[in-house]
Amino acid sequence: MRKIFLVLALALSFSLAACTSGSSFDDSKNITVYTRDTTSGTRAGFMEGIGFSAAAGSDDVLVEGFVIKDNTGIMTSMGTDEYGIGYVSLSSLNNTIKGLNFEGVAPTVANVLNDTYGLKRPFMWMVRDTGDYESTEIDQLVKAFVAFLGTTDAADIINNNGAIALQTTVTWDSIKAQHPITARNNSNVTLRFGGSDSIQKVAQALTQAFSAKAGNFVAEHDHTGSGDAYKRTQTIGLSDPVSKHVGFSSRYFKDTEKVGVATSDMGQLAWDAIVAIVHKNNPVTNITAAQLKAIYDGTYTKWSDVVSE
Amino acid sequence: MQSKIHIKQTQKRHNQWLDNAIKYILMGFAILSSSFIFIIAGVIMVKGVTPFITNNGGLGRVNLADFLTGSTWLIGESFNSNLYAVGFLIISTLFIAFLSLLISFPVGVLTALFIAKIAPKKLAETLRTVIEMLASIPSIIYGLFGAGIILKLVYDFSTILGFQSKGGNSILSSVLVLAIMTIPTIASISEVAIRSVDKSIEHGSLALGASKTQTHFKVVLTSAKSGIFTSAILGIGRVLGEATAVSLVAGGRRSGINFNILDTTSTLTTMMLEGMKETTGLDYDIRFSVGIVLMIVILITNFTLNYIKRKVGNVDVK
Repeated sequence: MRKIFLVLALALSFSLAACTSGSSFDDSKNITVYTRDTTSGTRAGFMEGIGFSAAAGSDDVLVEGFVIKDNTGIMTSMGTDEYGIGYVSLSSLNNTIKGLNFEGVAPTVANVLNDTYGLKRPFMWMVRDTGDYESTEIDQLVKAFVAFLGTTDAADIINNNGAIALQTTVTWDSIKAQHPITARNNSNVTLRFGGSDSIQKVAQALTQAFSAKAGNFVAEHDHTGSGDAYKRTQTIGLSDPVSKHVGFSSRYFKDTEKVGVATSDMGQLAWDAIVAIVHKNNPVTNITAAQLKAIYDGTYTKWSDVVSE
Repeated sequence: MQSKIHIKQTQKRHNQWLDNAIKYILMGFAILSSSFIFIIAGVIMVKGVTPFITNNGGLGRVNLADFLTGSTWLIGESFNSNLYAVGFLIISTLFIAFLSLLISFPVGVLTALFIAKIAPKKLAETLRTVIEMLASIPSIIYGLFGAGIILKLVYDFSTILGFQSKGGNSILSSVLVLAIMTIPTIASISEVAIRSVDKSIEHGSLALGASKTQTHFKVVLTSAKSGIFTSAILGIGRVLGEATAVSLVAGGRRSGINFNILDTTSTLTTMMLEGMKETTGLDYDIRFSVGIVLMIVILITNFTLNYIKRKVGNVDVK
């Protein structure tokens, strides 16, 4: 029995020694670049945010020898790999790793909401013109959905799905009387949602929750890209099966897309903020879009390239 | 008397009817369960072949020869390119399987030998239960262990060697996770094989003056080699088919064959798994093609191993 304890104690001390060793940062080391795979919306947001859109859907423009991991994988790797750099959505940031300031602004929810933190993109919505629906029921349901987007009920769902909701104090219970359509049984009504695929997860969670509050209407999701948010709600007629009642976009609408759209027919529902993360021992605290691009495209391969700037 | 016979006859007829009914019901279940293999294989085949014969929504047909020999998963932008290739993945998959078997096979077989022949009865019972429990642990648990512990160990280990590892994501981590996973499979099946070696062979060896160790290694193990080989075949099957655990520690290499065990890698299975839930179109269908390649690789490996097993032959086993 004593021998077993001895062995256990030895094993424990070895593993502890392994954990504590090596806290000095050697900036002559190579940067290990971590990324999400090409289907990830976070990757698209990050690459667009640092001005490297070509890498959003393509691996072969990235630096040689990058590591592909999922959100959790990048988090845990940054706890181990002193010379790694990766990115995660702001909601998953915690104190086991170090989130870098972007262009001098700390990655916090407050800085996202006051629009100073730059590495983010807006989640926007756009609906059809009033009256441009198959029935008044659908028209009213869409209006109710838009009202729902501004409530704390929706904010909780948005935050739970990794995005950052805009600040609000309105609850759905306080405004639902203004939308009597939601008190009916709407199980024979189908609403069509589309637009950006990065926002699909959030949008589906929102429609699922809202359907239960609004007479169980059927929500049909077909997310094909931000460009289709405007196209399929404004330019495509209802007779076309790909036309949408509500379109989402993960960027601001372009000026050309806003022509002839009433301001009440579009708006923002959330922010999607992304943080560049490194190991806690890394002396770097701030990073710029240009530096991140240089790291991800292979211009900077050693940490000294970043530290010396 | 006559009525008694009559009753017996109806009873007999009734039993016959019941026997027949049960027979057909059971046959129905057997057909149902065995037909799944054909349904699954059929669906994978049809889905997996489409990238090579259709236009893929304007992207053009995938070239089969390039697909099988290329060394970059995807050249160009995903959803806008058809230049997929898995050649390098086939090699790295086999390489990882070979290395992990190199660890798990000796460890597993020696464990089995100890449990079956050397350990006292009580200890053997306990160890057998433990091994069986280990064999039934889901792979994601091994993956979590790998991501939480092995990555760190491999990272520190390569730092000591002076190699800057990519967070421990490497061939070595994958091999270790897979080896730990397959040891229980190999040990429990080898153990049964070793235990079923005829006692008279063993006694004969001892009677001829061989020591216990000589008997164990030269007589018992060689007599059980067929069963031990089966354990290796099942073990390698688990290694080739494992996706979840490996994808957590492999690092997701996208191009180039790599034999440096401290650098990142990918296997056919991890490539199928990554992004599977969020992709569409050709990028989705091509994963079924990878599935076909994987099935063919597993089939070829199994046939080869079975061929060797037959060559190796068998000794009198109960």
